Amino acid sequence: MMSVPSTAISVSHLDWEIAQQAILSDVSFQLPRGAMLGVIGPNGAGKSSLLRCLYRYIIPTRGDVTLLEQPLHLYSAQGLALKVAVVQQDTPANIELTAIELVAMGLTPHKGLLSRQTAADNHILEDALIKVGLIDKAHQRFNALSGGEKQRVLIARAIVQQPQILVLDEPTNHLDIRYQIQILELVKTLGITVVASIHDLNLASAMCDQLILLNQGRLVAQGTPSQVLTVKQISHVFGVCCEISQHPQHGNPLITYYYGYHEKKGGNGAQTANVASLQPPANSLEQALTKAQDSVQAAGYHQQVQGDSSQRGGRS
Amino acid sequence: MVQIVSNNQRYYFACVVIVFLLLITPFFSAGFGAANISFSDLVNLIQFHWFGSGEASPLVERIVIDLRLPRILLAFMAGAGLSIAGSVLQTVTRNPLADPYLFGISSGAAFGAVVVFSLFGHWLDFDLLAQWQDHPLVQLSLPLGAFIGASLSVLIVLALSGTGINSQIERMLLSGVATSFMFGALSSLVLYFSDPQAAASVLFWTLGSFARASWEGLILPTVVVIGSLLTILAFKRQIMALQAGDETAHTLGVNVVKLRIAMLLLCSLITAVLVASCGGIGFVGLMIPHTIRILLPGKSPLLLTAMLGGLFLVWVDVIARCALTNQELPVGIITSAIGSVFFLFILRHRRS
Repeated sequence: MMSVPSTAISVSHLDWEIAQQAILSDVSFQLPRGAMLGVIGPNGAGKSSLLRCLYRYIIPTRGDVTLLEQPLHLYSAQGLALKVAVVQQDTPANIELTAIELVAMGLTPHKGLLSRQTAADNHILEDALIKVGLIDKAHQRFNALSGGEKQRVLIARAIVQQPQILVLDEPTNHLDIRYQIQILELVKTLGITVVASIHDLNLASAMCDQLILLNQGRLVAQGTPSQVLTVKQISHVFGVCCEISQHPQHGNPLITYYYGYHEKKGGNGAQTANVASLQPPANSLEQALTKAQDSVQAAGYHQQVQGDSSQRGGRS
Repeated sequence: MVQIVSNNQRYYFACVVIVFLLLITPFFSAGFGAANISFSDLVNLIQFHWFGSGEASPLVERIVIDLRLPRILLAFMAGAGLSIAGSVLQTVTRNPLADPYLFGISSGAAFGAVVVFSLFGHWLDFDLLAQWQDHPLVQLSLPLGAFIGASLSVLIVLALSGTGINSQIERMLLSGVATSFMFGALSSLVLYFSDPQAAASVLFWTLGSFARASWEGLILPTVVVIGSLLTILAFKRQIMALQAGDETAHTLGVNVVKLRIAMLLLCSLITAVLVASCGGIGFVGLMIPHTIRILLPGKSPLLLTAMLGGLFLVWVDVIARCALTNQELPVGIITSAIGSVFFLFILRHRRS
């Protein structure tokens, strides 16, 4: 602990191709220590692949990843696990372990070949289970827990790993809204650098310090939630119309979506056509829609947006 | 809380039972065999040996010390080794059917033995069956041939299974099955052209037997099994992490590809040494780990697995010695018979 690095994660010009098909292309971003980064984007945008590059499950075709100011390839397998903990999207099936035994797996990188589990270790395990509110289910079979409880057990395992960076791949999947909020707030209280891919844009807006928006393997936008979550960008990347206001509590963008996309499927795929054909039921909505429509038309500057973001990526 | 207590109680109960069996098994199992040795003979022998009092007949002493004890120990080592090999392979490949034999090790060993029997047997020009026990050259050449064959099959499996993390398990299993069939075909081919006597002795050998056990022959299996057991115990945390999937294990700092290859090599070494010294004994590596899993769900106590496997084969060998009056039954026949019934039982058990 000589000096505390100020940059937790630095990714530059990351490319990953599989069978000549680009999954990630030219992704660059930086994240300061202790910040929470949300990775957003539609299905198949490359969110999971980007996260996998961070914990070296995927070796990118080109580009560099630096964690805590040390190039990723210089870490040993165990050394990396001491710095980075991961909660994956899919909870493993067919596990015969109890919750606390699964949490104890988090001790693996901390243990030498012959060292045993000590009383201090047991204390760490219990603390982690208390933090995620599952101490009373410690000795239940992992497979018998509900989806949300499984997710929290996995987060407890990551806490036991005592990492400096926590990577979460869609941690709020399968969770009801209460646990979605609870899990992300819990993760935030750990005070470590967090990278999480999140589907719910409002949740991402409320919880994250920084966001990066991926589309088809490219980084489309990055910055604070209010920089990234604009009507233009959301309509361009996700193909939906929305209105953005300020959340009354935290002041970050609050997204209100509009519905009715199934009408007129025959169009050229351009969202503007679909939206223009909508007949909003109420006057207020009509107003809002016109506004949204304007911005969707603005999103027609497709190339320009992408150019902007890659420039920004290069600079940072 | 209730659940963990009962589970732990079960675990300690199992420990106590197995250690108790471990203590009494040598005395009781030594009594069974072709020569009838009574329990009082054994007590006399122990008194004579350990306390220097009383006397024991030299015949009993020779049978028990020179023949039965090494045999019991070899059976124990074989059972322990095959069980831990099966248990570890099932965990690292996450395949409940994984077993040292699935990776072509036994067919490779059998091929090596067949080559030794039919080619060099003729060339050396002596009656194999008659001189099998005594001739040092034969005693050494057979295990050596089996070991070389087993190593060859492992090398082929390793070369084919590659180093990609995503497809490693699949490729390992498929190449194991392919190697197994290839060596099976080669063995049949060589046997087809060799004389019937060699074929008969190869058959007897592949069915497994502890009849050739000796104190000198025990050294290698003991060293290999105990050494491997200690190595596996040292890596227990890493092996357990593989249970949760390759990607999870990777994020926990486990070098998945290397660990899996190292464990396959270690299990192959155990199996090759055991196959070389007592022939092919199937189903132990499947049956014992599954029994432990049913009795103690969630735990994978390696030492208990090893001990239960050892005890199992010691008593199977007792059956092998006693079932027929004039000759011995090959151990492999008994384990396969018990094993197949056991699996039918498990299937029934699971369905209900």
